[in-house]
Amino acid sequence: MHEISVMSEIVKGIIDEAQKRNALRVERVSVEIGEYTMLGEEQLRFAFKVISKDTLLENAELDLRTVAGTIECECGFKGEASPASDTPHRSVPVLECPKCGGGARTVGGRECVIRDIRMVVPDV
Amino acid sequence: MHKVVTVEVEKDILSANRKLADENMSLLDEHGIRSFDFLGAIGSGKTLLIERLIDLLKAKGKRCAAIAGDVAGDDDFRRFESHGVPAANISTGKECHLDAHLVDHALEKLPLHDLDYLFVENVGNLVCPVDFPLGSHKRVVVISVTEGDDMVRKHPAIFAFSDVIVINKMDLSEAMQVDPDALENDAMRANPAAKVVRTDARRGEGLDELLAALGI
Repeated sequence: MHEISVMSEIVKGIIDEAQKRNALRVERVSVEIGEYTMLGEEQLRFAFKVISKDTLLENAELDLRTVAGTIECECGFKGEASPASDTPHRSVPVLECPKCGGGARTVGGRECVIRDIRMVVPDV
Repeated sequence: MHKVVTVEVEKDILSANRKLADENMSLLDEHGIRSFDFLGAIGSGKTLLIERLIDLLKAKGKRCAAIAGDVAGDDDFRRFESHGVPAANISTGKECHLDAHLVDHALEKLPLHDLDYLFVENVGNLVCPVDFPLGSHKRVVVISVTEGDDMVRKHPAIFAFSDVIVINKMDLSEAMQVDPDALENDAMRANPAAKVVRTDARRGEGLDELLAALGI
């Protein structure tokens, strides 16, 4: 539901970077979305198309990648959480340690990062 | 002539909120205030639960305050104020969730030097608040039996990322033919580390258990 506001921040961040380098246009943007965020890929793509119109980003390719969530447990386990087998449509894995069955906490997968930007700049 | 360059940025859009949330928590810690944010669907009973806790804590001589977050209006804000505690109102206008920045501004309106506990009621929404921590010490998610016994399965993330899960309106479970055990089992699967408490806020039942789960 908040993809528009998050994408506005992404586009603003990219335009800042592009303007710093006097870019003529942006060709491609790579953004990483954590698996545990509540950000939908389709909604982000739609928001990007709408918000980037009439900016340096218009028609730029949006390279969206999902970053796997990771969990950590007191027993020493650190790694990916496994989704419950009987709930294939879960958006979030059960936060149960696959090693000891205890309650684990998330350590990765809640981010939304602009990774890199490909842009056309003056060759000076 | 022009050239094409790829610039590494590594800018986390959500980290700005997390940083502000950390600052909110530091500010509350400096004043020795324990804070709790309440999440849950519209009509789950968040406001009434907070009102009951305020009354209980006031009777024990504790100083409380509350922040009411809603898309529009000041209904909840006025309810909190009627209990004789400092309150702040946040109307998000368009946003579907509170964020740390809005809470930061609300904190400016509260007498932080004169408080023991702060309750923050988020906008009624089980999706968006997940991505926006506010800087409170514990996150509480409230569901009511009137929402159906599949509520946890439909919104696993909010339960996975909360510390306390409240099943409210227990008095209506029979009438609704909703099995609270099913809700509790789902909640424990989504988050084995969470504490689950059953309440009937209207009649004031389960509140001592809720206080204990909050560590009060």
